[in-house]
Amino acid sequence: MIELTGIVKRYQEHEVLRGVSLRVADGEVCVLLGPSGGGKSTLLRTINGLETFDSGTIRVGDVVLQATPGPERDKALAIIRQRVGMVFQQFNLFPHRTVLQNVTEAPIHVLKQPPDVAVATARRLLERVGMLEKQNVRPGSLSGGQQQRVAIARTLAMSPEAILFDEPTSALDPRTTAEVISVMTDLAAAGQRMIIVTHAMSFARTVAHQVHILHAGTIAESGPPQQIFEDPQTDITRSFLSEAAIA
Amino acid sequence: MNDASWRSRPSFHGAFALIVAARVLFACVLPEAACADQALDAIRQRGTLIWGADQEGGGPFVYPRPDDPSQLTGFEVELAELIASHLGVKAQFAQGQWDKLPDVMDRGDIDIVLNGYEWTPNRAQRYGLSIPYYIYELQLLGRVGDESLISWDDLLKPIDGRRRKVSVLGGTAAQDYIEQLGEGKIDLALFEGATDAMEATELGLSGVDANMQDLPVWTFYSHGFPRLRPIGGPVGRGYYVALTRQADTDLLKAVNEAILKALQDGSLRRILARYRMWNETQMMRGIETNASGGFVGSSISGAEVNNQPADGPTSRFEQSSGWQVIWQRGGLLIDAAGMTVLLSVTAMPLAVLIGLMIALSRLYGPGWLRIPAACYVELVRGTPLVLQLYLIYFLLPKLLDTMFPGAGLTINAFTAAVMGLAINYSAYEAEIYRGGIQSIPKGQMEAAISLGMSKSLALRRVIVPQATRLVLPPMTNDFIALFKDTAVCSVITVVELSKMYYIQARSAGAIVELGLLTGLLYLAMSYPLSIVTNRLEKNLSQERRS
Repeated sequence: MIELTGIVKRYQEHEVLRGVSLRVADGEVCVLLGPSGGGKSTLLRTINGLETFDSGTIRVGDVVLQATPGPERDKALAIIRQRVGMVFQQFNLFPHRTVLQNVTEAPIHVLKQPPDVAVATARRLLERVGMLEKQNVRPGSLSGGQQQRVAIARTLAMSPEAILFDEPTSALDPRTTAEVISVMTDLAAAGQRMIIVTHAMSFARTVAHQVHILHAGTIAESGPPQQIFEDPQTDITRSFLSEAAIA
Repeated sequence: MNDASWRSRPSFHGAFALIVAARVLFACVLPEAACADQALDAIRQRGTLIWGADQEGGGPFVYPRPDDPSQLTGFEVELAELIASHLGVKAQFAQGQWDKLPDVMDRGDIDIVLNGYEWTPNRAQRYGLSIPYYIYELQLLGRVGDESLISWDDLLKPIDGRRRKVSVLGGTAAQDYIEQLGEGKIDLALFEGATDAMEATELGLSGVDANMQDLPVWTFYSHGFPRLRPIGGPVGRGYYVALTRQADTDLLKAVNEAILKALQDGSLRRILARYRMWNETQMMRGIETNASGGFVGSSISGAEVNNQPADGPTSRFEQSSGWQVIWQRGGLLIDAAGMTVLLSVTAMPLAVLIGLMIALSRLYGPGWLRIPAACYVELVRGTPLVLQLYLIYFLLPKLLDTMFPGAGLTINAFTAAVMGLAINYSAYEAEIYRGGIQSIPKGQMEAAISLGMSKSLALRRVIVPQATRLVLPPMTNDFIALFKDTAVCSVITVVELSKMYYIQARSAGAIVELGLLTGLLYLAMSYPLSIVTNRLEKNLSQERRS
């Protein structure tokens, strides 16, 4: 279970997050939607400490992350980062390592797995995302969709309890977007817990268990996709959906 | 020979002001080493008298032997042996940059300085100065066939409305003499080497009409400059003296005894005559006695006064040129190039290591470390290498001695040179790495951290390896620059390729031949690195394209 309670974040005077609370149950696929600047990515990045926050708490299983900096927070983050993976909009693969090495890097050096074990796991995961045949090339020679699939395999190699997806298809063209969405759909079907920030509406609709509309730093509406897309309860959701439909 | 024949280049003057300031400061803070009346015992115990001089000054003082350039000759070499044998020990030569010899002596690396140092009131306050072993005079030289300049009077007369121009060694008695005489009516051209000044005069370079030269230098080199001739008689007398540390009064007395004895028994006369330096002026001291103790008077033959001694041939400048000089002296240059390589390959890895630590401290270190790291870069980058070498070699041992008295901590010249180069270049490396690391996209660190890596693991496995590839080309450039900067280490007595070139070229008069060889050696060392740089740059740009 991941639980965010009353998360507040400010950039100087401006409040980016105004006391956001949400809960992601085990095995749940949670999608954050909303207009740009609504705080989706910022909220996602507070969970693994890429962004700080000013008040509130984040609970990942039995670990509690506080806003106050210090050794307590560092200790909690170290655990959370091993339990919660992240996939970035810009993939952020390590360009100086091969595809296979990208996937084995953290298991070997963070989890201290024996290299042969890590390599076997990595090959299985690359197979799963359809990238095994590219295992020995450098990321620079891959397309965006291929890089993103490797990035997903790299995250899976840490056996995370949850994966944070930060606009995973926003930097991709429609064809490669489909490749990545298909991999993510398979993951969802396999019961992988995920928190996804995305603009891909139809994808959100098919995979999400819970959808949260984030607007101006607060959650405007939460609910299963049927409710959000077919029977929105708030004006904010309605106007967001109509704008998204035009776009 | 006059002072500052090897004076540092004008660009170093700022550094020198700082050095002087630092020395004054240290002189106030640190008590003088209390070693009075122990120097002589130490020398006798050691069995050697270590005397310092600069071979680059050339003949007739201390210079490589024409027939075997790996050996030294010169009247001061023989004088040092004479003094050493008087003390009952062997003479041991130590090379040092001429104007730094007193500092090397203060450091305790040499016992005496014997290298054409003049007696001056300022020196007499700071060092122990022996009785003179030579009375030098100055000689004006003009061009053969230049009928417009045949007397001292002509020097003051402008020609075609232009003032006369005299070449001198910068900062010397010759310069002072011409300045006082000319009172602004004579122009000066300052040179760093005695033979350079003569050559410029012979060729009339930059309008030079005449050269004011130390007489012994002119006597030694005269036949190498057939188009120069003396104008008028010798002028402006002064004394060449040996230097000791001020506290070493026992040593100073012993040196005086040795010189006095050599004057009395004629052995100093014989040495000087071998280098065509004995003359009427020396005779006027009148203290040489014969076997029965009587004054020799004018019984010394006229031939000897005219520098044709009865007991053998005289030594003088022997010009060598062409393949022969390369064959004869090339080996010494190649050996010296070995020192250049050794300095570079030892200093560069250290510079890289220190630079990387500084860069990481500045970028990722805790707050209390960032400011000192930034200060380090600014301080080291903002001060000249020559000053850093000077501080490490001359002042650090003093500081160590104050902090740990009696521990005998010292730093040899090679270590000091490597330290100086490593520290100097580490600041530049640090900036290169900082730039390289900053150019790695932020997402790389975020990806590494979100995979559970600690900051230091992420730096080691992800950031630094990528940055290294970016900074390799500028690093190789710096390595090439370091190769050439090793030349500065001659200020702290390290003889590397450049210094060896100056020593050999000036004593052989083969500036062009040995210059070409030296250039080739530098090229042979740096060109492979250039190839590596080019290849790295090419690989990198390919990697970026893919």
